[in-house]
Amino acid sequence: MAFRIARLGLLAFALVPRPGATTFADSYDADVRPILEKYCFDCHSGDRAEAGITLDAYRESRAKTHERKAWVKVLRQLEGRAMPPDDADQPTRDESAAVERWITGYALVPDCSKGERPGRVTVRRLNREEYNNTVRDLFGIDIRPADDFPSDEIGYGFDTIGDVLSIPPVLLDHYIDAAEVVARAVIASTDAEAAPARPIEGGRLNSTGQFTRDIDIAEEGNYVLRVMAWGDQAGPEPCRMVIGIDGKPRRKADVPNGPGAPLEYDVKLRLDRGKHQIAVAFLNDFYDKAEKDPKKRDRNLAIDRITLAGPVGILPTTLPTSHIRFFSRPIEPTADLTEQTDQLKAILTPVASRAFRRPVTNDELDGLGAVFFAARREGETIERAAQLTLSALLVSPSFLLRFEGDPPPGRIRSLNDYELAARLSFFLWSSLPDDELFRAAARGEVHTPEQLAAQAKRMLRDPKATALVKNFAGQWLQLRGLDEVKPDPKRFPTFDADLRTAFRRETEEFFSHIVREDRSVLEFLDADYTFVNERLARHYGLADVKGEAFRRVSLDTSKRGGLLGQASILTVTSNATRTSPVKRGKWILENLFAAPPPDPPPNVPELDGNGAKLVGTLRQRMEQHRADPSCASCHKLMDPLGFGLENYDAIGAWRDRDGEAAVDSGGELPDGRRFQGPAELRAILAARKDEFRRCLIEKLLTYGLGRGLEYYDACAVERIAAASAAEGDRFSVIVAEIVQSPAFRQRESGADIK
Amino acid sequence: MTTTLSRRTMLRGLGTGIALPLLDAMESPALAAPARKATAPVRMAFLYVPNGIHMPDWTPAEEGSAYKLPPTLEPLADLRGDFSILTGLGQRCANANGDGPGDHARAMASFLSGVQARKTEGLDIHCGTTVDQIAAAALGRRTQFPSLEIGADRGKSSGTCDSGYSCVYSSTISWRTDSQPLPKENDPKVIFERLFEDGRPGESAQARAKRDRFSRSILDFALEDARRLERDLGASDRRKLDEYLSAIREVEQRIDRSHRANAAGVAKMKKPDGIPQDYEQHLRLLADLLVLAFQTDATRIATFVFANEGSGRSYPSIEVPEGHHDLSHHGNDPAKQAKLGKINRFHTRQLAYFLGRLKATREAESNLLDRSMILYGGCIGDGNRHDHNHLPILLAGRGGGTLSPGRHQRYEAKTPLNNLFASLLDRMGAKADILPETTGRLEGI
Repeated sequence: MAFRIARLGLLAFALVPRPGATTFADSYDADVRPILEKYCFDCHSGDRAEAGITLDAYRESRAKTHERKAWVKVLRQLEGRAMPPDDADQPTRDESAAVERWITGYALVPDCSKGERPGRVTVRRLNREEYNNTVRDLFGIDIRPADDFPSDEIGYGFDTIGDVLSIPPVLLDHYIDAAEVVARAVIASTDAEAAPARPIEGGRLNSTGQFTRDIDIAEEGNYVLRVMAWGDQAGPEPCRMVIGIDGKPRRKADVPNGPGAPLEYDVKLRLDRGKHQIAVAFLNDFYDKAEKDPKKRDRNLAIDRITLAGPVGILPTTLPTSHIRFFSRPIEPTADLTEQTDQLKAILTPVASRAFRRPVTNDELDGLGAVFFAARREGETIERAAQLTLSALLVSPSFLLRFEGDPPPGRIRSLNDYELAARLSFFLWSSLPDDELFRAAARGEVHTPEQLAAQAKRMLRDPKATALVKNFAGQWLQLRGLDEVKPDPKRFPTFDADLRTAFRRETEEFFSHIVREDRSVLEFLDADYTFVNERLARHYGLADVKGEAFRRVSLDTSKRGGLLGQASILTVTSNATRTSPVKRGKWILENLFAAPPPDPPPNVPELDGNGAKLVGTLRQRMEQHRADPSCASCHKLMDPLGFGLENYDAIGAWRDRDGEAAVDSGGELPDGRRFQGPAELRAILAARKDEFRRCLIEKLLTYGLGRGLEYYDACAVERIAAASAAEGDRFSVIVAEIVQSPAFRQRESGADIK
Repeated sequence: MTTTLSRRTMLRGLGTGIALPLLDAMESPALAAPARKATAPVRMAFLYVPNGIHMPDWTPAEEGSAYKLPPTLEPLADLRGDFSILTGLGQRCANANGDGPGDHARAMASFLSGVQARKTEGLDIHCGTTVDQIAAAALGRRTQFPSLEIGADRGKSSGTCDSGYSCVYSSTISWRTDSQPLPKENDPKVIFERLFEDGRPGESAQARAKRDRFSRSILDFALEDARRLERDLGASDRRKLDEYLSAIREVEQRIDRSHRANAAGVAKMKKPDGIPQDYEQHLRLLADLLVLAFQTDATRIATFVFANEGSGRSYPSIEVPEGHHDLSHHGNDPAKQAKLGKINRFHTRQLAYFLGRLKATREAESNLLDRSMILYGGCIGDGNRHDHNHLPILLAGRGGGTLSPGRHQRYEAKTPLNNLFASLLDRMGAKADILPETTGRLEGI
């Protein structure tokens, strides 16, 4: 079972003293062993310990290695109140807490003296954002084909986690369709599918008769006339029709297919400029009054649709840039197919290498060439065959999945320059490396810490770094959740789509500003400015902001400041009809201080189980709820934080009254500190720099590495945090430290102590 | 544009994009043939509603066929002969069993699997192959798509879901293997295109064969590439590549058998535009597509999730602006229970629509509902207590004459839900041995 270091944070936040390791080691004998002996040893000791969990054989030297797993299990059982079993003596809350504290505070804290372990990232498929961006940057076409894909699985709060991103058959269907769409957008072709098509209305022919349709042809050329037909079948022979042009029959066809199963009947035509007439005639009407089955009595021909596509075989006069770039050198139509295939392989080499984020191999080129060759041999045009080859490339695992080979078991391997370039670009851009980065990788200049830091710095300044805002901030701060909130229109009539968009924009602009201007990340907590347009300014009660554009404004910090004054966050943490101090408190603990509160007990106690009705304001009712000791221990962490934000309603507007009652936004934190209103709460939170910094680093690491953090990652987090604090907590410093860390630069093989 | 028509010719406006009612597609000779076989294909669908159901308004007081319809089932009054209420079934592995909180995640994960989900945010996600996928593995090769997974909600886009469980668990009802969740498709337009628009409608056999050859050559390259990569992969990487490979194989198999069902009679439904704003419209479009998928034999096995487990959706259209999950923790407040009842009834109205559509769809001498086994319910009874031992379970359809609906049946408390699933798999002709947690078959269905 994986154990997240994040849990350690809770204790810090709850201000349980975090004694030095030796104190904890000593405390095992003094505080922990007696409790285990009293409640656990009956079953979990000696040779026949139940479930193989032996708790009496503790040796300090092993606590952090071989026995980690066992302690994680013990912790889970205690947290879930699952052990000891109900019919055995139960430890008091203080006793449980003492054991939990020792496990999280000592047994699971890694020993950093041996350096940082890199860990291992499971192969990652491109997520939807990455697929869209990759296609955009590879071909210069922004068509977002992945928007139709099923949603990506989320792990540890992010959609970049290799372990959870699965590849179900439905996704492969989408990959195949998207590849065709992309290939047709990149390369112009001359087949009927790509030619302009004009629909012509169809109809039904109940007896021998015909349609005629007049058409105007602007451009001389080859056309395909496509008739979608079916018939009510009756009598000894199938429906029969003839398709003609300008009075001359061109194709006679049997139409044996019945209702519900239209088939297409194509005719190739050469048409001059000018007027033409298309005709479809039904040739063999049949009616048998004597037939008993009414369905077999009458033969009719139905034409669902006629389409004229063309001219075919002529490339459009203005070719897409992507097409011109793809055919950087022409493929000679007169050369033989083998030679053409070689020419294709030559022009495909740079494209495939970029797409695979490493040099394409000869085997791979041969495979791609085979697709081209087969299509050409079937008579497809060069362009169409190239499209199919591109499709093959876009469906292949080397494109869709990000592989990094494993070192031999038990070993650590440094990633090569190409792998590092891809890690950088997917981390900061959610896309593939650009030319500069890819060329640097080819020269072997992406692997030293200095090179990585320099590239990261450059990349953060690139406009593509907005991906970090959209994808990292969008998930860290749960801005993506804004799409799903539905504030009750009766209570919040001002809320609409524009305001929803403005909420998101504010926080995105704010985050971008900190990245772009390389500000201290501590401003997330207490910036005295924000970004608004007229609509949002009105929502916040700010004067003198006109127009749609977002601009930086200074804030009256008694009312707003930092992320916690932003309506996006205040709204995603509210219910549809009211604020939720619990959700807001939980959000702060989880996302700003990496201290998620323990989950509620498995069976939520009924609030009025003993008949006592909860009465009063929301806040009063919550306080009564907290009188229940099994709820109180956690709610006293969450609720006060949420109470401090009660001046913001469920869509983040300022309020002094909640219904009839005046808003009470005062509170007391577990350490006894009191505050009155959001500004004082903000000041208290802003002082918790260490926890916040660590939290942001953990979130960025998780997102950037694509895996959940393990206990040993605490070493990297602490080191990065120290470096960040020493350099003014600038955003670029944290990113630079992350990309230089062993976790980013190396990988270890699968054999792991989890 | 002029139209020349001869004396007796009538032009009817076909192809104008009007949503025509579904006609009896089985009239088409291509499709009618298999339906006339003695062993008519049986369809199977599992419909899920989250957050529990207010059980006093769901469970009939009387047993047998003469029970009085409780309020939540009232929308199904016209169909009462077509479904049974099965009371007393439970899913043991949705309970904590030592794993602590996370009932919503566990509920959805265990509902069709009977397996206790591994508590993890991401590393080593683990559940169990679900009953629909057991059926799909056995029978899926007979149809174009082994199974279909649809639902109104996307997976959650950010944040955490339930108490240390990856969001995958509370948004996924179908697991292909114990480590591969199957995402739902949400957009009716996208579903329509995938199911019914393989290639141009009506394209000629020749054009299709050529397209298939090209598809194969693309897949061949993908397979070669995968085999090259396979060599130096660790175990969890290999698992991902295996997922990829089995997806490729499934597509290849579909190319082999697609010629049969493609005609499909699909033109009779207008292609949807996308996801409707209105939730009810969305559910109904999804229901329409599922009916069409069954009717055209695109698939015989499906899951359909009305909302993700733990859903906080509000229901303004029925004057319930509060979030569903919040209301489900009603604390025995009658006002909240009443609103919960409204949501439950809203959902059964959608069920009634779906069942009605199936029933109205003729197939040979029968109708689609009679040839289906439709399970509707959730893995939480009383949402306030996260009760997984008294589940709301409704079974509709006659399963091709193998089910006798129309009753309220009570079982001994905590009878494994998987006993029911095993009984359903028997009727599908799939092997039920691999289902865990079974203690036998469920009698009286």
